[in-house]
Amino acid sequence: MSLLKRIIFCLYYKEGFFYLSRNFSLQKVGDVDWLIRNFGFGKATNYIDEIVIILVKKKPTESDFKNFFVGVLKLRKSLFIPITLGGGIRDLKISKRFFDNGADKILINTLAFENKEIIEKIAGFYGSQAICVMIDHRRINNEINLYSHCGARLEKISLKKHLENLNSLNCGEIILNSIDNDGNAAGIDLTILDNIETNINKPILIMGGAGKPEHLSSVLASTKISGVITANLFNFLGDGLKVARNFALEKNISLANF
Amino acid sequence: MINKKTKICVIDYGFGNIASIENALNYLKFDHSSLKTPNGLGNFSHLILPGVGSFEAGISKLKKLGWELKIKDFIKNGGYLFGICLGMQLLFKYGTNEKTDQLIEGLGFFDGKCKKFFQNNQTNKLPLPHVGFNEVNHNNTKIWDGIKNPSYFYFIHSYKVSSSEDSHNYAKTTYGEEFISFIEKSKIFGSQFHPEKSHSVGLNLIQNFCNLQ
Repeated sequence: MSLLKRIIFCLYYKEGFFYLSRNFSLQKVGDVDWLIRNFGFGKATNYIDEIVIILVKKKPTESDFKNFFVGVLKLRKSLFIPITLGGGIRDLKISKRFFDNGADKILINTLAFENKEIIEKIAGFYGSQAICVMIDHRRINNEINLYSHCGARLEKISLKKHLENLNSLNCGEIILNSIDNDGNAAGIDLTILDNIETNINKPILIMGGAGKPEHLSSVLASTKISGVITANLFNFLGDGLKVARNFALEKNISLANF
Repeated sequence: MINKKTKICVIDYGFGNIASIENALNYLKFDHSSLKTPNGLGNFSHLILPGVGSFEAGISKLKKLGWELKIKDFIKNGGYLFGICLGMQLLFKYGTNEKTDQLIEGLGFFDGKCKKFFQNNQTNKLPLPHVGFNEVNHNNTKIWDGIKNPSYFYFIHSYKVSSSEDSHNYAKTTYGEEFISFIEKSKIFGSQFHPEKSHSVGLNLIQNFCNLQ
């Protein structure tokens, strides 16, 4: 838990292309060269603390992983910040390949419901700080439901219980991602924080719904939150991240002033 | 050594992500190679010692691969050395074993030892490891050329060095307690943070090191 808050950018990738996500349905937007050419990608990352790149393929094959690492390698050439990689990590061997291909941290989601022993094994090798757990949630009749497998499978466990389990697990931080707000750019649902007990001693990051600078800084002002993540390519790349960071700094949010 | 062409060697002893350092050197267009053993070290002007992991395991691997004496010869012959994270800690006289607290001998370029955070301070205890960007108050020496003071660098560590070296030679950072985040003496440098993960200021620092001659 750093004392400073973080603004993190997230990219969705599969089969050579990046995607916009809206309530977890994906829309192809361009390849690596497109991203670098149209968004000045290397420069835009001067205004974020970290980057997350997720392989958004249910059941990725060997060639999906290979293709993902090739895309990541192209991006890494202009990335000089901590990198989190995730998508389809189900065992220690695969996790090792993610680290070997440039991950400072890995992101897991489904594995946190299925097999905590493997998470402990990965932590034993790379340290708990190297593991981020993402939780995809959606409200149905005002009940919070959790999903695994890229939003496809409803899990029976409650958010409260899942958080309790993760709190005692060897993982570094927890990301709460709202399927309802995913990609809608209408603002982040802060009421989800009412479900977080004060005894959770891991950094909590929040994601889903950010569309403009005010959205990021209003979330960062919460004492329950260590950072905010956005995957909104069109609203935040170009100089959007620069504007958002400066806006938050003006609001006296405790951020690194790069 | 004078007027020798700049060529950077990254020590590949199995500790830490050397790919990110190579990535930075490529981006900055420096001539570089990684060596698993010291064979051919004479061809290089600058040496980078990276590292993530425990002091004890790191130093024993360096010794096993024959690096310890060769690094010392390299310095005697006028080469420049930069230790990063565990690589910085190994430049000191002593490290400690986490369980037994026993002292472990390091390379000994700097006087001091490496210990876990908050051993003598239970009041300001913060979670470990210390992860994320934090402020480095540096001393404006040549290697900091063009880097504003303070600047933010990326940290990930649970151990820190303390030293009796002249405080003019180091930069400081605070995480619950103040610690040495950068140290230099003559041609030897060490950073507790990761310049290769610290945006353009980190690249600037690596570039300044590689340009020293």
